[in-house]
Amino acid sequence: MSAPRASGPAEKTGNVVRDSAMGLIPETVSEILKLNGHVWRDSLVPPSILETIRLRNARTVNCVFCKAVRYDVAVEDGLTEDRVSLINDSYRESALPAREKAAITLADCYLGFPAGADHKAAADIASQYSEDEVASMLVAVMTYNFTSRMAVSLGGMPEDGTLPIMQMSVSAASA
Amino acid sequence: MTAINSINLDSALMRAGPAAESFARLWKTIWSQTYIKPEELELCRLTFARLHADEDEIAAPNANVPVLGATRRQAVLAGKALESAEFTPGEKAILLFAEYYWLDPQSITDEAADDVKKYYGEPALVLLIESLGIIDGRIRTARVLRDLKTAKS
Repeated sequence: MSAPRASGPAEKTGNVVRDSAMGLIPETVSEILKLNGHVWRDSLVPPSILETIRLRNARTVNCVFCKAVRYDVAVEDGLTEDRVSLINDSYRESALPAREKAAITLADCYLGFPAGADHKAAADIASQYSEDEVASMLVAVMTYNFTSRMAVSLGGMPEDGTLPIMQMSVSAASA
Repeated sequence: MTAINSINLDSALMRAGPAAESFARLWKTIWSQTYIKPEELELCRLTFARLHADEDEIAAPNANVPVLGATRRQAVLAGKALESAEFTPGEKAILLFAEYYWLDPQSITDEAADDVKKYYGEPALVLLIESLGIIDGRIRTARVLRDLKTAKS
C-alpha cells in the first residue's frame, strides 16, 4: 500500500466519507454525499445498470477499493458476480443483456482517450436509452469517475486483488 | 449556436433531475471556495481542454473567473506554462499535478503532490483533486453529448 497523501479531519463523525480526506473540505463534502444519494436514489435507470457503469469505471481507473465494492441496491436489483465477471474487454460478445452492453458503451465513450461517441456507439446507446436516461447515466459516471480518481490520487490504495468483495449500503455513502 | 461545453453543460443535464442539480451545485462551489484561486482552476480547465484537443472547450468563456491575461492563456494552451516566467511556482505545481491527473491518477508522483501541499496546504490538495475530477468529467460529458447530438441529426 502506498502512503496516503492526505488524512481526514482529527474529529471523527462515524461517516466513512466525512472522516476521509474529503472531510477536510466542508464546502464540498456535504454536496458530494447528497450527490451520491441522488445518483442512486433518483436515477432514471435501475441500480444494476448503474452498478455496471460504476464497475466499468472502477476497472478503467483501476481503483482497488471501487472494484471491491458492491452497492446493496444493485445486488437487490439482481446484480450477480457472474454478471460482474462479464464487464470485461469482451463484453460485446458476452451474454449481458443489450441494455447493459449499451450502458458499458456509454461509459467507455466517457472514459475514452479521446472521450466521445462514434456513430456506431451513438446508435447502440440511442437504441436502448432515452435522452433523459442518457443524461442520468452521464451524471452517474461523472460522479463515479471523479470520486474513484480521487481515491487513487490521494494514495493509500491497497495492492490490486488484495481486497475481498464488500457490500456497501447507499446510506453509508450518501446524505 | 454555442456547442455544449463544461461551462454550459448543466442545461443539457437538468433532464436527469436531482442528481444533475446536485452536480451543478458542486460545480458552482469549486469556483467560489478559498483553497485554490478560481483563476488557477481555470488554468487547469484550459490545460484539460488542450489535452483533449477540444476547440469548443477552449473557446468557451468562463464567467466564473476574471478573464485571464492573453500571455498566460496562450502559454497554457501551447503547453508552455511550466517553462514560463508568467506563472508562479505554486501555479506550476498545480499545473504539473493536473497533467499527471489527466494522464492517469496512478501516474501522480509523491513529489508532485508534495509540491502542491508545500504551496497551498493539504486541504487545498484535496480540493484540487476534487475540482480536477469535476472539470474533466464535465469536459468528457460535453464531448459525449455533442457527439450523440451530431449522430442524431
